[in-house]
Amino acid sequence: MADMLIVEIQVLFFAKARELCGQKESHLLIPSTVSYNDLVDQIVKTFSLESIQHNLILAINEEYATTGSIVQLKEGDKVAVIPPLSGGI
Amino acid sequence: MLAMMLQPLQALQQIAIRCIRLCCHVVERYICVFIIVMDVVDLLKDEILNLRKKLMEKEAVLRQHQTQMYEKAEEKGLYKKLTNVEIDRYSRQIIMPEIGMKGQQALKNSSVLVVGAGGLGCPSALYLTGAGVGHIGIVDYDKVKLNNLHRQLLHPETSTGQPKVLSAFNSLKRLNSFVHITPYDMQLDSTNALDAIRDYDVVVDATDNVATRYLLNDACVLTDRPLVSGSALQLEGQLTVYNYNNGPCYRCLFPVPPPPETVTNCGDGGVLGAVPGVIGVLQALETLKILLGHQGVVTKKLLLFDASDCSFRNVRLRDRNPSCAICGNEPSITALVDYEQFCGSKANDKHNSIHLLDNVDRISTGTYHDVRSEPHILIDVRSPLEFEICHLPGSLNVPLKDLASEQLVQPLKEVITKKGSSDKDFPVFVVCRRGNDSQKGVLALRETLSGLNVSVKDIIGGLHSWAKDIDPSFPVY
Repeated sequence: MADMLIVEIQVLFFAKARELCGQKESHLLIPSTVSYNDLVDQIVKTFSLESIQHNLILAINEEYATTGSIVQLKEGDKVAVIPPLSGGI
Repeated sequence: MLAMMLQPLQALQQIAIRCIRLCCHVVERYICVFIIVMDVVDLLKDEILNLRKKLMEKEAVLRQHQTQMYEKAEEKGLYKKLTNVEIDRYSRQIIMPEIGMKGQQALKNSSVLVVGAGGLGCPSALYLTGAGVGHIGIVDYDKVKLNNLHRQLLHPETSTGQPKVLSAFNSLKRLNSFVHITPYDMQLDSTNALDAIRDYDVVVDATDNVATRYLLNDACVLTDRPLVSGSALQLEGQLTVYNYNNGPCYRCLFPVPPPPETVTNCGDGGVLGAVPGVIGVLQALETLKILLGHQGVVTKKLLLFDASDCSFRNVRLRDRNPSCAICGNEPSITALVDYEQFCGSKANDKHNSIHLLDNVDRISTGTYHDVRSEPHILIDVRSPLEFEICHLPGSLNVPLKDLASEQLVQPLKEVITKKGSSDKDFPVFVVCRRGNDSQKGVLALRETLSGLNVSVKDIIGGLHSWAKDIDPSFPVY
């Protein structure tokens, strides 16, 4: 039942993700063992990031999270949502 | 008796008339002085402009002579060695163990292509030129605009309207005549990118649009060049080096381009000048480290800069993706493609007009000007911040995103009900900055105002057209 443990993670938003959800960071309750895809889905759904869901990378505690992997999360882990900053200058 | 009473009044009247005459005289004199001062200002401006022209001509002649001198030295095989003047000039970095004579010589014999002479390209090229990189190419198709100047600091006021690469060339040459600068006044695309990049050791991505980012990525993979990528918007910046030391390329991280409507440009999102300044200088720094063969280049890492709290975060990235479409083990892309088609957006950050409405649902600024005195409502759908910059008198500010909300549109409905009559559709006009959001506004209002007797139309070309065609004193941003 260890994988049913629910943890609270900190979600950090950058670039367009920050603009879309209107905040720099927030919190999310999520199972401690979760697939990369489910983690993205959950974040996208909770923070209304549907328009950029295929154009972002996730970094867990400043480490790149690989697509298709199984992710282990602890209470207080920081998950950064990073779309490319492509326009601008 | 009456005459006696009127006497002081007449005296007062006389004094008042004298005062008014005196005031008129002062105003007249003030206007005269103002006109004289204006004439002097205009004369000085003209004189300075002419002097600048002469100065630039002299500098061009000097450069020609210097180039000839360098070419002669190069023919003799002396070019690769540092001259005494160069040793003195770069001594403050030569003296560092990380650089030394070898490093400075390596920089002199290196070449960098900076793509974009804007907010990132300017600071980047500035520091590469200062450091003594032998050959710097700089690409841009655009001309200098007044609203570029707060962040694109290679361009002086007098360059407004000139090609950016020409302005950058002049500024860089003035800074360091030892560096060979090649300006490319052109749009980089699939037909010319590989040839341009092959002449250089490192490429700096200082561009402002997604299509050119994918183009540069693919071109650098195909020519095996490191790509020093930077971006900045509002108060945020990103920096990483692609295609270097088994690190990822842009496609390894972002195989799918973002939907065009999710990409914000500086014209719409804004940018604080010092933010691209920070990222551009860091791009120059990483480029120098690559040229010098230093460790610690920001590859397989992404630097996230947040100016709001001055935080720098380094996120570890993946290695090269073996199944990447361009840099993978079995690439499916082996030549440059059409990047505007791939991204569904133009390879620039310019505004594109959309056409959501039929012509009958739109009016020109001229027609609106004619009906402005008749009863109507004008809704300005820009953000409150933009509304604060300028707006037409009497317009109501309801931002586009609020138009779908029943609650936020309720006060508007009440105004229409109060002003309108039952036998005729009450005119509602929608305006925005350039005429795209106003069309979206009309579509949204048709939903939220359904059931009311209204005719909703948008103003073609928005406030930009108003300033251009009706009121030249209206601010443009």
